[in-house]
Amino acid sequence: MLIELVSGLLILCGAVFFAAGTVGLLRFPDVYTRLHALTKADNLGLGMIVLGLMLQAESLAAASKLLLIWILVLLAGASVAQLIARSAFQKGIPPWKR
Amino acid sequence: MRHTTDTRRPVPWRSILFRGLLFSLIWWSLSNGVAASWWVGVPAVLLALISSLYLLPPMTMVWSAWLKFIPFFISRSLHGGIDVARRAFHPALPLAPDIINIPLRLRAGLARVFMINTINLLPGTLSVSIDQNQLRIHVLDRHQDFMSEILQVEEYVSRLFGIPLQTADQGE
Repeated sequence: MLIELVSGLLILCGAVFFAAGTVGLLRFPDVYTRLHALTKADNLGLGMIVLGLMLQAESLAAASKLLLIWILVLLAGASVAQLIARSAFQKGIPPWKR
Repeated sequence: MRHTTDTRRPVPWRSILFRGLLFSLIWWSLSNGVAASWWVGVPAVLLALISSLYLLPPMTMVWSAWLKFIPFFISRSLHGGIDVARRAFHPALPLAPDIINIPLRLRAGLARVFMINTINLLPGTLSVSIDQNQLRIHVLDRHQDFMSEILQVEEYVSRLFGIPLQTADQGE
């Protein structure tokens, strides 16, 4: 019962961070600031959802599989963000300034 | 390649053992621990082990440093996610972005790649590119104290991989 509550809470928080990442993607002014929103908010959101699901996993193997998924997404997200930022910079896209 | 390679290197038993265990653990996780799957799993683990030794030469990791780094990383990435979520939801969109150059003290290699990936997940910093030993980062808020955090990450990473930091060379 308590585990289900904590798990539900974590998944809900994760969804809020996913929403924040999407809101940032829509509201932020340029490619660099949007990358910030996507990498950080989405990774945290996914981390919370994974943690919430791990609490309800049927077996240790299933729980560790979820953890593995999060680590792989973390690696892919961070590397891809850096690649996009680099190619944007090399194309001469200037960072937005107030 | 700055590191010298011996022609008669000793067999890296520690790396073989550690990576073998790691890949077996991943297979166990992927196959849900079904015993019959090891007919495929053992060859897969062996192939992964052999290719990993070619692609990523054996290295020493400092495990005690990892134990200190993981809580730091989790708390900072939590902070990073909350920070960017707050900015995204804030009606006034509080952003003051800028691009900053920072001299790197880590040599090129896996440790440096690890560091720039870590920076992407910390509050308000995104690595853009590396020229020579200058790391170019994009910051969400130039009034934030991102400098001390980058230096801190660099020190953590140098300890994780047991690599000494070089003094920053002239430039900038």
